[in-house]
This record gives sequence, structure tokens and C-alpha cells, in this order.
Amino acid sequence: MTCSRVCGSVCKSKMSGQKKRNFRIEAFKHRVVVDPKYADKTWEALEHAIQEIYNHNASGLSFEELYRNAYNMVLHKFGEKLYSGLVTTMTAHLKETAKHIEASQGDWFLEEMNRKWADHNKALQMIRDILMYMDRTFIPSTNKTPVHELGLNLWRDNVIRSLKIHTRLLTTLLELVHKERTAEVIDRGLMRNIIKMLMDLGSKVYQEDFEKPFLTASANFYSVESQQFIECCDCGDYLKKAEKRLNEEIDRVSHYMDSKSESKITNVVEKEMIANHMTRLVHMENSGLVKMIMDDKYDDLRRMYNLFRRISNGLSTIRDVMTSHIRETGKQLVTDPERLKDPVDFVQQLLNEKDKHDKIINLAFNTDKAFQNALNSSFEYFINLNPRSPEFISLFVDDKLRKGLKGVSEEDVENVLDKVMMLFRYLQEKDVFEKYYKQHLAKRLLSGKTVSDDAERSLIVKLKTECGYQFTSKLEGMFTDMKTSQDTMQGFYTNYVVDSGDCPMLAVQVLTTGSWPTQPSATCNLPAEIRGVCEKFRSYYLGTHTGRRLSWQTNMGTADLKATFGRGQKHELNVSTYQMCVLMLFNNADRLSYKEIEQATEIPSSELKRCLQSLACVKGKNVLRKEPMSKDIGEEDTFFFNDKFSSKFYKVKIGTVVAQKESEPEKQETRQRVEEDRKPQVEAAIVRIMKSRRVLDHNNIVAEVTKQLQSRFLPNPVVIKKRIESLIEREFLERDKVDRKLYRYLA
Amino acid sequence: MGTQRDRVRFNVGGKLFETTATTLANAGRNSLFGAMFDENWNLRVAETGEYFIDRNPKCFSVLLDLLRTGELHIPANVPEKLLYREAQYYGLIDHVQAAKRGEFDGNRLRLAGSTTGRAPGDGTAIRASPDGGCCVAHGSMVHVYDWMLEEHPSINLDYQRVNDIGWIDSENIVITACERLGRVDGGMGLFSSSNGDLRYKFDVSHEGQTKSFTAGALSFSNDDKIFASCKGRTHEYGIGVWDQITGKQVDFFYESPGWSLGDADRLQWLNGTNCLLVATLFPRKDNCSISLLDFREKRMVWSWSDIGAPVTVDEKRVRDAIAMEDTSSICVVNEYEDLGFMDLRSSIGSVRWSSRSRLMKGKMSDEPCYPKLALHGGQLFSSMNDSISVFCGPDWVLTSRLRRSYGGSICDFSIGGERLFALHSEENVFDTWETPISLVA
Repeated sequence: MTCSRVCGSVCKSKMSGQKKRNFRIEAFKHRVVVDPKYADKTWEALEHAIQEIYNHNASGLSFEELYRNAYNMVLHKFGEKLYSGLVTTMTAHLKETAKHIEASQGDWFLEEMNRKWADHNKALQMIRDILMYMDRTFIPSTNKTPVHELGLNLWRDNVIRSLKIHTRLLTTLLELVHKERTAEVIDRGLMRNIIKMLMDLGSKVYQEDFEKPFLTASANFYSVESQQFIECCDCGDYLKKAEKRLNEEIDRVSHYMDSKSESKITNVVEKEMIANHMTRLVHMENSGLVKMIMDDKYDDLRRMYNLFRRISNGLSTIRDVMTSHIRETGKQLVTDPERLKDPVDFVQQLLNEKDKHDKIINLAFNTDKAFQNALNSSFEYFINLNPRSPEFISLFVDDKLRKGLKGVSEEDVENVLDKVMMLFRYLQEKDVFEKYYKQHLAKRLLSGKTVSDDAERSLIVKLKTECGYQFTSKLEGMFTDMKTSQDTMQGFYTNYVVDSGDCPMLAVQVLTTGSWPTQPSATCNLPAEIRGVCEKFRSYYLGTHTGRRLSWQTNMGTADLKATFGRGQKHELNVSTYQMCVLMLFNNADRLSYKEIEQATEIPSSELKRCLQSLACVKGKNVLRKEPMSKDIGEEDTFFFNDKFSSKFYKVKIGTVVAQKESEPEKQETRQRVEEDRKPQVEAAIVRIMKSRRVLDHNNIVAEVTKQLQSRFLPNPVVIKKRIESLIEREFLERDKVDRKLYRYLA
Repeated sequence: MGTQRDRVRFNVGGKLFETTATTLANAGRNSLFGAMFDENWNLRVAETGEYFIDRNPKCFSVLLDLLRTGELHIPANVPEKLLYREAQYYGLIDHVQAAKRGEFDGNRLRLAGSTTGRAPGDGTAIRASPDGGCCVAHGSMVHVYDWMLEEHPSINLDYQRVNDIGWIDSENIVITACERLGRVDGGMGLFSSSNGDLRYKFDVSHEGQTKSFTAGALSFSNDDKIFASCKGRTHEYGIGVWDQITGKQVDFFYESPGWSLGDADRLQWLNGTNCLLVATLFPRKDNCSISLLDFREKRMVWSWSDIGAPVTVDEKRVRDAIAMEDTSSICVVNEYEDLGFMDLRSSIGSVRWSSRSRLMKGKMSDEPCYPKLALHGGQLFSSMNDSISVFCGPDWVLTSRLRRSYGGSICDFSIGGERLFALHSEENVFDTWETPISLVA
């Protein structure tokens, strides 16, 4: 029954009576509740409905009526009764539910819980539907828990955390996980539902009631398992197993756990399976990291890298072991006396070693910068252990540029040169390399042996970018000399038309002193024919270039000779200048003794011996005969023109028996020259530094000089000290009168 | 046409309605219709094929129309409050609220109503709630109104004089109040907006001891912090900071000598620069000072004061200040409603007064109210006497003025929940201004 009534209300304003009386119509009001038991009765109806909903009997209920009842209770200030009634009813029901779940046997336990949970969720939604008005108005204004959340909390407290279920649920879940780990198939769908339930109850419930114990159990499991594995597996197998376990766990999380658990469980596996055994794995004999590197086990190495990357100091462990391995093998390589016999092979071995490790880093170590740096520093370390490395690298280049690169594509040439440059970068004594490189380049240029001008120039450009203009200016000067010499010769021949008959053709290369490695020039007596042409050239050259001095470097030249042998066969002999001098003697004699030759030519004896050896002792090229027949040249030997010489080829190249590698005295000499060259550089550096600093103490000078020069070589502190003393003597510097450790710059 | 399968018939209080499930779906799951037609409820239909609802048919008609069109048209014979209650029954109150008010625009405001208060004294402050309600502080009492302007139980903090009020959300109000000498009361409290219960009382502690204090101006940051100016008994002058979630004091910025923070009239948290604007103004203090505080570095990063400024005949004193982060400036206003601007990027603050000075000295009302400033959606609002001016654009040109003759000067106003509330000093009337919904698509 409803009624509208008109009522007058006086606004009790505390302000002065200026306010007019305000009559208004009060709106539509619900009937006043007369029945004192109204609230109880309404609640009974609602409670009955809740029971029916839980019993799947909702179809008999009138939604509209229930909704209106709940609304009325709130409207008539029975919200509190409604709310507490709900709590009581739901609690009682859930306690009953818990008993059902407890009673279920074995595997049915989770099934039952899952079923009841689904029921509860559905019922909760329906109850919330009925009580929607309370949920929207009464609950926020009284700061109570909303119906849905309340339902979840009650389920948590009365079911999940009830005495007989709490631990049973946990053990069941952990058992299932354990079963799955031991390769049994479990019902993942059910598992997912149950764990989803825990997640729905709040992240705290999930973490407390499942995740934490799960992580502890996992840690135990993997601690035991990893111990077993490490006892019976080699490193590669172990890593395979660890990787598999890790992937399994990630897969497990994606199937039935909260994605936030992934990092937590992987952390556990990482710690138990990898971090705890890391050192032992890496150092495993016959299968550890060193073995893997030696055998190029890219897959295993990649696996190790990817697994160890997950551990805080995992990669540095790999790196340290790798570094010490490379240093060790490198050291063996550069100090092995066998290897030193063949410089080309020596460098090739270094390059192979570098290639091998580059490949490992690229294929297995994710092209990791830190690893590349470790590799570089290792190479730098051991290459410089051998003082002959600069020489050998230059020899390697020499070999490549003489013959090694014949018929190789431009790209490959670049490739080889780049690799050489890489080795060059590791060198501390770059000036020593320069010295040797200059010598070798000179030989190549003068003998016309260089395969490719482009390759030569390309390498010079690379050296220039690496070390700057100064480093290569002299090398470039050598190229310029070659070019100018060509032009000069053209000029010479156009001006002096030489009768083409018997007169030999002369090709002179004019070398600028200083640009070329000058060797103590051992002049020899040239044959008269040659001497004539030479004189003509000298006067031509000095005629066009005033103020210059020419001196012949007979030790560096070559000659082509036309020779006719006993049975009339003709050959062109390609020989060195010295050899030419010797052979020309036989134009007038058939037999000459060593002494006679030495007298006639005045070639230094070591050179002469070498050149006679190549003329008389090499099979197939023996244009001379020697008595007695032996491999070595003695001072008492006699030489004959070999009438019976024959060769398949018209052109015969007679090489000089040269020691490609420097002999011991030569080495000393080069060394000395390098040391000599360093002196002015060190002095220049000292002066530069002192000029800007004015006053500096000894240790700081040494440090700064070393820093300035390290791109070329590592100066010895003793040398620096000597240079400082020399500069003091020459009054560039003086010692401080008070503090003797201080030096002053004298302007 | 045949029978439409989604057709639904209702009998509401004896009157028949016919609609479609599609229309009802507009109500959303969180409504009576959403629940009723959920598949969980395998509803039986009466033999008549109708669903019976025991409610007022006139209101149902209006609400059904709202679901059909998204528009709210309340016939003259349906009282608004009745409709609201019915909407609440069906769980459609959000729909009604959305349909009732348009997006706030200072230039299109219409007076939606006036609410008369019962307070004996002058109004202190009015604050709009996020959902369109408001609360009004008078002396030691705070009256709370929801968006239907239905009054809720009022609030007080030990009946101490209220200094400032603020909404944390539509359910929670913070009140700052004076401390009574010799008693541990006053301070700052958190109240329920629906039933007025005190939910939490904030403490200030110094060197491990809880102290009683007077709390002044309030501000809230969007990372759940509450800032309030505080005056304690001895050294506890400065700005207190509390966590909204735990309620615990998390920080305190002690004022430096000669620089008043504890007496501040206005605090404003600046999200962009992570700083708090603190303004202490005439006449609470003889001099005005404005500063920006960086709490992470415990440093005053910008400051301005009129100490030592030459007193001109045409005296201009700053009465309110508001920071405008978009333009890195602070807007101030004097008692003649002149606007002034200061650049936050230059360290030496100087006020650039706009020349739009109106000579109002002669016609000052008997009961002057100090001007107040507010910023909303790029529009600047300034209250003066009985009107509120709206300024727009980069040069802040005056574009609108809101005025109503009844109620006297405006002592405070507040914008929120798409509404503007203006509190008048006489009779504690407050006006509600709304932007009418635009039906032009």
C-alpha cells in the first residue's frame, strides 16, 4: 500500500527569520513497515534463495522479487542484517562444502574441489545479482567488503585454508608437479583450474599457498638432481639436461601458473643447476669449456653461453677460462722452436687460431663484445711474447704479396690483408714491423716480384689509417721512386740512342736515400760492358739533376743474360747483379778458381759464396760446374762453364740462395737499428711533453712518454732515462736544484 | 515481420512496456537488467509472457527511454529525486549522471540550482568531489552533498575550526582543523563522505614523538600523497606529507627562518615538475611569499616574495596564486581582480600585472571577499565579489562572467565532477553551475 502525503516542514534555520517558510511535496514514499518481523521474514526468503542457488534450484526463484526484497532491506536500514546474514549463510555453506571436498578420495580430491569452486563462482555471481543494490550503495558507504570479494575471502578461509584441506591441497599440487617432472602425464587442465582458483583468490593467496612452497620444493628437487647429473654426465650432457629442465619449467608456467612465476622458478633452476656447479662444469676434465673450445663444439658452447648468461657472474667465468686457455695455447705457439723455422706458417697458425676463436664467438657466444675484447687482449698478450713476431708478420705479408695472392680475387686479397692488419694491431713494437716491412717491400719492388700493385697500395692505406701519415710516408716514397725511375729511363733512352747490338740494356732505379733501407753497399767490379752504360747513365742523370750523388747498389740489382751452351742451345738466364758479374767472367775463361773470381769481382765473400752456390749447386740450374762436387762452396774450389747444361725452358731463373729469415747477426743489426731509430723519437716525445709542462718529475715523464709512443712501440724506461740524461747534457732540460727528481724545460 | 526473438515485455507497476534485449543490453551487466537476463538466471516467464517489476512506471518509462536513446528527458510531473532513486534501484544511476551533464566548459555554464545551508557563520571553503558532489566548510562544521545534492551526515573534527577540506576520492574527505590550546585535538582527519564517520586521524611526529598541530591548506598528489601546511607548538612549522594508503607520515619539510610555510593559504602539487607550490598571502601574513618545494632534494627550487617591494598608492597585493604548468608560470590576483603573471623559468620572480585593471575601489561591496583562482581544462577562473570571470587563450582574455544576484559575495568556489560550485558568503547559499549537454551531434 502506498500513499502520497502532503506535509509541511519548517526549515529550522539558525539565521534570522528572513527565510520564508518552505512548503513542498514530499515524494513518493514506500509504505511504512508495520510488520516488526518484516526484516526476519524477508531475510528468510533471501536465505532460502541462496540455498536454492547453491542447490542448483534457481529456476524456481523469482529474480525480481528477490532483488526487490534485498532492496527493501537496505532501504529500511536492515543492510547490516542482510550483510551479516549473507556472511553467516555463505560461511555455513562453505564449511559444508569443505567437508565434501575433504571426503573425496585420492585423485578425486582436486576434481571435487574444482567442481565445487565452479559451483561457488556461479552461485556467487547470482547472489551478487540479487544483492546488487546492497553492493552498490550500502557496502561502499559502510566500507565493507563487496559481495564478490567477500565470497572469495570466505572460500579462502573456509575451504582452502581449512585444517584438513590446506596442507593436502599443497601436497597434492606439489606431488603432481613432481610426477610431471619425472615424466608422468598429469591432467594439466585440472591443474590450471585449481591454480587459477588460487590466483583468483588474490596474488597473496597464490604466493603463500602455492608459489613459495612450490619454489622450495623445486629447489630441493633440482639440488638433488643436479648432484646426480654432475656425478655421471659430462659437461655437454649436463648442460643439455639443464637446458631441458629450464625449458620444461618455462613451459609448465605457461600452462598452469601465473606468468610472474616464470622468472622465480627459472631463478631456482638457474641457481641449483647452474650457479652451484658452474666452476665444476667449466673445469670438467675432457669435456669442460677448454675441451669444447678445442673441439669447436659450437652447440655445446652456445648452450653454455645461454645458460651461464642467466647467472650473475656466469659469463665472466666462461671468459676467464677462455682467456687463460687462449693465452696458454698462444704462448705455446709463439714459443715453439719448431714453429719459428717457418715464419709464414707461424703467422698462418696465428691467423687460424684467431679465425677459430672468432668463429666460436660469432656462432656460440652471440658475438659478445666482452668476449671479443678478451680475445683481443689475449692475442696482444702472447704475440708480443715473441720478439720476432713483427718480423714474421712482415715476412708473411711478403710471402703473400710475392706469390701467395696470385690468381686470388680482389675480395680475398683484401680479406687476407685485413687479417694481417688485425695481427699488426696486436703488436707493441710497430716500429720494428715497419723496419722489416720496408726491407721486404724494397726487395719486392726492386726485384719486380710484387704480384699486385693494388694489393701493395691497399696495405699501405691500411697502415696509414692505423698509424698515421708519418708511419707510411717513407713507404710511399719508395713507390714514387719506382715511378720516377721508369720516367728517367725513358728519358735516358730517348736521349742516348744506344746501338742495339751487343750493348746491354740498362734499367736503373734511382732510390732516394732515407726512404729505402740502406744496406752497407758492397760495391763490386762490374763487367766493362756494363760499366760503360752505367757511366753514360750517370752523366745523363747528373746532367738533368744537379747537386745529386749517385752510388750503385749492386747488391740489389738483377740481370738477364743470353747464353749459348755446348750443343748450341740458347737460354736466357735471369740472375742477380753479382751472379751476372761472375758469369760474365766465363765469357773469357772456361775454368776459374774461387780466388780468381773473388779477385776479379770483389764481391764480399759471404755474398759470393751464396751466389756461386746458386749457380753451381742447384740441380737443373747449374750453369757452372764445380770441383770438387759438393753442396758447399770452399775457398779452394774451382768452377767450370757447364757445357752440358740443359733445361726445358728457354728462360731460366737462377735464384739466389737467400736466407729468407734473418740470420742471427742480421737480426742483431736490425734490432740495433730499431733501437737507434727510437732514440730521436723518445727524445722528441720528452721535449714535446716538457715544452708544455715546463716542470715534471721523472715518473710522470716516463708515464707520458710511454703513453705517447705506445701506438708505435713500448719504450723501455731505462732508454727513456738515458734520453733524459742526454737531453740534460745538451741543455734542453735541467734538474731542479732543490728536488733532484724534478726536471725543468730550458727554452 | 514475424516475432522478433529478442523482444521483451515488462509489466511495471501495472503498465505494459515492450522493448528489446538489445536496448536492455545498454544497461550493462552491473544493472538489474544485466543480472536478470544473465544465463545463470533461467528466468521463467509468466503465462502472460511478461516480466513483472513492482516499480513506478513513469520513471521506468524515462529510464527505458534513456537506454534507448542515451538521452535523459525528465517530464515535469516526475520529481528529479524520485527518478534518481528509481535509477539507483535499477543500477542505472551512472547512466543518468552521464546523460545529465555535459563536458565542463566555463563559457557555456548554466546555473543548475542553488542549495541553501543552515550554517551560522561565514563559509570557509567549498570543494567539488570527483563525482559531482561537494562539501562545504563553515566554521567548525563540514556539510557533505552527493551529486544529487542530497545532504549526507555532516562532519566535524572535535568541533574545531576547519581550515581546509579536500576529497581523496568520492568516498573519502580530509579535513584540516585548528588545534585547541592545552588539548590534543584538531589536526587532520579522514572521513567517510556517506556516513560522516571519522576513519583515520593523521599524526605528526617529530623525533619519534607525536605532536598535536594545526593543519592548514591541503593538496593531493597523483602518487597518493597528502600535503598539508602544519603549525605545531614549537618547531613543527612546515609542510607535512602523508601516504594516502597507509595514512602514515612520510615526510616533513621544515620551514626556514623568515620564510613561512606552516601558515600557507594555498598548496598545489605540480605533477609535471614533482614540486609543491606553497603560497602564504595577505592578510594572514603581512607579506606574500610564493615558493616551489622539491621534496626529493629538500630544497626550495623557486621563490618570490613582496618583502621590500615599494608600496605604491595603487597598492597591489597578491591575494591568491595558482601555478600553470603548461606555460611554466604562476598566475596571481590582487584585490581589484587584476591578474598578474610570473615566469617559473626565471629564478628572479617578478609579477607582470595585466593592464586590464578596473577601478573598483569606489564600488567595493560592504563585505569584501578576497579573490580566488582556479584552473580547469585550459580555462582560468577568478572569483570577485558576486561573480566569477572566465579567461581563455594564451593571453587570458575575459570570455565569460557568471553572476547571480542572490547570496552576496562569493567567498570560495571549486570545479570538479563536471560542475562548478560557488559558495556565497550570505546565508551560505551555494550555486551549482553545469554545462548543458549538447544534443547536436
